[in-house]
Amino acid sequence: MKFSIALAIAALATSLPALADRLDDIQKAGVLRVAAFDSNPPFGFLDGKTRQISGLDVDVAQAIAKKIGVKLELVPTNPANRIPLLVAGKADLVAANFTVTDERRKQVDFSLPYFASGQQFIARKGILKTPEQLAGLRVGVDKGTTQEIHLREKYPQTTLVAYDDTPLAFTALRNGNVQAISQDGSKLVALLAQAPDKQKYELAPFTLTREYQAIGVPKGETRLVSLVNDTLKELEKSGSAKTIYERWFGPDTKQPLPRDFKIGDQS
Amino acid sequence: MAGCAMNTQLIADNIDYLLIGNWANGQPGGLALTLFLAVAAGSIASLLGLAGGIALTMGQPGLRRTLEAVIAVLRAIPVMMLIFWCYFLLPILLGIDVPGIATVIAALALISAAYLSQSVYAGIAAIGHGQWAAGQALGLGRWQTLRWVILPQALRVMLPSFINQWITLIKDTSLAYVVGVAELTFVATQVNNREQIYPLEIFGMIGLAYFIVCSTLAWLGSRLARRWQPV
Repeated sequence: MKFSIALAIAALATSLPALADRLDDIQKAGVLRVAAFDSNPPFGFLDGKTRQISGLDVDVAQAIAKKIGVKLELVPTNPANRIPLLVAGKADLVAANFTVTDERRKQVDFSLPYFASGQQFIARKGILKTPEQLAGLRVGVDKGTTQEIHLREKYPQTTLVAYDDTPLAFTALRNGNVQAISQDGSKLVALLAQAPDKQKYELAPFTLTREYQAIGVPKGETRLVSLVNDTLKELEKSGSAKTIYERWFGPDTKQPLPRDFKIGDQS
Repeated sequence: MAGCAMNTQLIADNIDYLLIGNWANGQPGGLALTLFLAVAAGSIASLLGLAGGIALTMGQPGLRRTLEAVIAVLRAIPVMMLIFWCYFLLPILLGIDVPGIATVIAALALISAAYLSQSVYAGIAAIGHGQWAAGQALGLGRWQTLRWVILPQALRVMLPSFINQWITLIKDTSLAYVVGVAELTFVATQVNNREQIYPLEIFGMIGLAYFIVCSTLAWLGSRLARRWQPV
């Protein structure tokens, strides 16, 4: 429902004339407002000690704010609110594990991808080994995510239950409301690593898609897009991109995951 | 027992965040923000509701019909939709940027005022015609009769309706999460999503907090009602 509202808002907004250049506005305000997750470790979540939103997406957002030379202000978001926040001008950028899709490109612009992952599943042990087994299963997804859209289009025999966020979907799995949940593999690895009863569950041994995550930018803000792209390329060149990745997915973290994607691999 | 110690620790670590949010860094939230939203929206709603109910009683037919139409529209919109649309649509349509907290207060105040207008109207109507006649017999005008004869009795009749509406409003502040306002339910979700595995403990505590706030208000209301009983 929220997704269709997002579309309606986007349709309205695109019919209005373009405003002044956003990069100028940001510099004038001295603040870059970035929509980030507050509930999706390790991309964006509320740090227990500092009580601030932190994570991989936040580190990238911080680098962009630094490049422009302004203060970073984070706007908490969830999967379904990302496009409305951008289109309504409540945020200048979205850095919230935002997967690039053609459908979304109609409403927002994207930077170069800075992260890559694929759609995977967590299920009770032994239940899900091949994609064919998805037919007839009840699968939990996050509202408004590419995983939900992909399953609805390609696996009509799967019963989908849409939740507000991943931890809620995982709670539903643990309570037996659904038999599997689907999200980016990178997020599921992190989720499973923290579960106290993780021996009961497993990551299904297949990946449905290869997806790329990028910074979302309001439509038509070409100067802002190229500034974000320059920042991302510099992060890769200086090794900071790798450092940021290792901070959240390195061998010493809760969710060790080898880095198989560099900024610039995909445009 | 290890689990029990874990739970105590969990609550101890997060209680300040749940109560006042990140106030230390200038971002009040949690229960404190919930109470602020409720008091602000409740005060505005009560004043508007009183004015609306009086206008429904005393106004010209044209004014009454307009007001009835506005009330009907407001009562027909889910609170969450009103918040969502105000927050995301006003900037696009009118170019004005309303902060999340103001949007929530305005939406809750408007909808509660619509309900309260009807309560006030009904409360005034419940006072018999004889009272209006008595006022006139004393040489009072219509407005003076309303002020000195009708309202003192009507407000007493309306009090339970007001308490009802205020309690509903306290609970409806939880809908502020939809636009990212860090009230109690929102911060609890943040903590739950970091901890991942203690939803029962966290949301149990949140439920208890709402229960304490709402039942305190109900208790105060019933005490006030008793004090107001005519001798």
